[in-house]
Amino acid sequence: MTNRAAILLIRLALLATVLLVWEMLPRLGFVEDDLLPPFSEVTSVLFKLLGRPQFQVDMATTALEIVTAFAVAVPLGALFGLLIAESPYAARVFDPLLFFLFSIPKSIFLPMFILTLGIGFWQKVGFGCFSTTLLVLLSTQAAVRSVRPDHLLVARSYGATPLQVIARVYLPSMLPIVLEALRLALIFTFTAVTLAEMYASRTGIGHQIETWGENFMMPQLLAGVLLMSITAIVLNEGIRWLEHRCGAWRT
Amino acid sequence: MADLIAEAPTAPPRISGTGSIQVRNLSHVYVGRDGESPALADIDFTVEPGRFVVLVGPSGCGKTSLLMMLAGLREHSGGTILCDARPVTGPDPNRIGVVFQEANLFPWLTALDNVAFPLTLRRVRAAERRRRAQDMLRLVRLEDFASRYPHELSGGMRQRVSIARGLVQDPPVLLMDEPFAALDEQTRMAMGDELLRIWSETRKTVVFVTHSLTEAVYLADEVMVMSARPGRIIDRIQVGLPRPRRYETMSDPRFTALRDRIWRHIRAERA
Repeated sequence: MTNRAAILLIRLALLATVLLVWEMLPRLGFVEDDLLPPFSEVTSVLFKLLGRPQFQVDMATTALEIVTAFAVAVPLGALFGLLIAESPYAARVFDPLLFFLFSIPKSIFLPMFILTLGIGFWQKVGFGCFSTTLLVLLSTQAAVRSVRPDHLLVARSYGATPLQVIARVYLPSMLPIVLEALRLALIFTFTAVTLAEMYASRTGIGHQIETWGENFMMPQLLAGVLLMSITAIVLNEGIRWLEHRCGAWRT
Repeated sequence: MADLIAEAPTAPPRISGTGSIQVRNLSHVYVGRDGESPALADIDFTVEPGRFVVLVGPSGCGKTSLLMMLAGLREHSGGTILCDARPVTGPDPNRIGVVFQEANLFPWLTALDNVAFPLTLRRVRAAERRRRAQDMLRLVRLEDFASRYPHELSGGMRQRVSIARGLVQDPPVLLMDEPFAALDEQTRMAMGDELLRIWSETRKTVVFVTHSLTEAVYLADEVMVMSARPGRIIDRIQVGLPRPRRYETMSDPRFTALRDRIWRHIRAERA
């Protein structure tokens, strides 16, 4: 058996163990049903929820918010990241501010988004966008800095035009970091949007989870968490697969 | 041209063809934070087509800077550089190929695509590009490694790919900046022989910068010794040793005498 297959097998076994323990703890009476409903019950609740029209609307709302925030944040962050990375002056001016913003919990800014954008679609998009733009901006800077001056010199010595330098040196050098950043950005948008929904909202998965939590509806709450975890894993692995395909030369 | 040759009385008769380099009164003043400091002064020499010239000098004497100026990759403050009687004002890959200290291959391209890179910039058709890159890989004996990525090649192989890339546009001049410095001694010696074979097959004009005195004498037709900063050329040594050079050449008394002569210059400059 190859090493990779072994690791995959162990991972699956671990997952199965966790789910089995989850299932058995309430069934054998170690934990109250109301506190931790068995895995099978949570799954059946999840499937029931998925069939409910109202829940489908919630899912669509959250998905649309995430996609919108992501679509605005990535080009915005990339643009400003490029501008700052290309100007040492701008980098020295903005870097401390950016690191400050990046290192504090973004949720403290949520009230401002509610005050300016109200409780609705744009408040979630605005907050998701804010949180993700910062990450993309910093990653883009890192990506630009990962371009080796030696490679630029080689391109120049063979008479590359500025456009050729961008297309044939900058972009391929930056690609692995950019893809990595996109993966993180998607996860960031996902968590930021659901957080905003949980904080104040009338729709969306995050809002539902928050409601179930407040009413101690554990099967529904856990079903929502399960759904979000699966979504996050699928998004993550999807971009990872893309990274792998584009970055074969990276060892 | 005749007067240029007269200035260097030790030069052998001209070989016909292209790839001559004339440097006239070249100087460079480096402007830094603490004002100006002269980096290169009174550099004046001619390299005849097809010659193998090695530049040596103490660390920091500006030999790499000089090479980068010959390549059109760095500005100089005074004097002129001519390649085949035309001034060098910027990178000109049709006249001058450059091989850098680290092979500097693009890790996202295969060996073949790295060699073809200069042709890609020129928008040469894919089939033509492939053919010429393959020819070059054959020249450096790496035809079986065309589809490998740089990280799958040894240090010596990477540097051979880099040489192939430098030659793919068939420029008459090849400039090499300490190309074997990062290699271990055994690989380095093998690469020296490999380079001499490639040179004898292609007859390019080579200007080669190195720290190694043995490498300098082993490879060169002529060794130009530079002084400490500001770098000047203080001696031009004709290496009359027969070719092909072999391992035994290094124990030839003439070889040791030439190396000693260079070392005495450099020791004096370092003091």
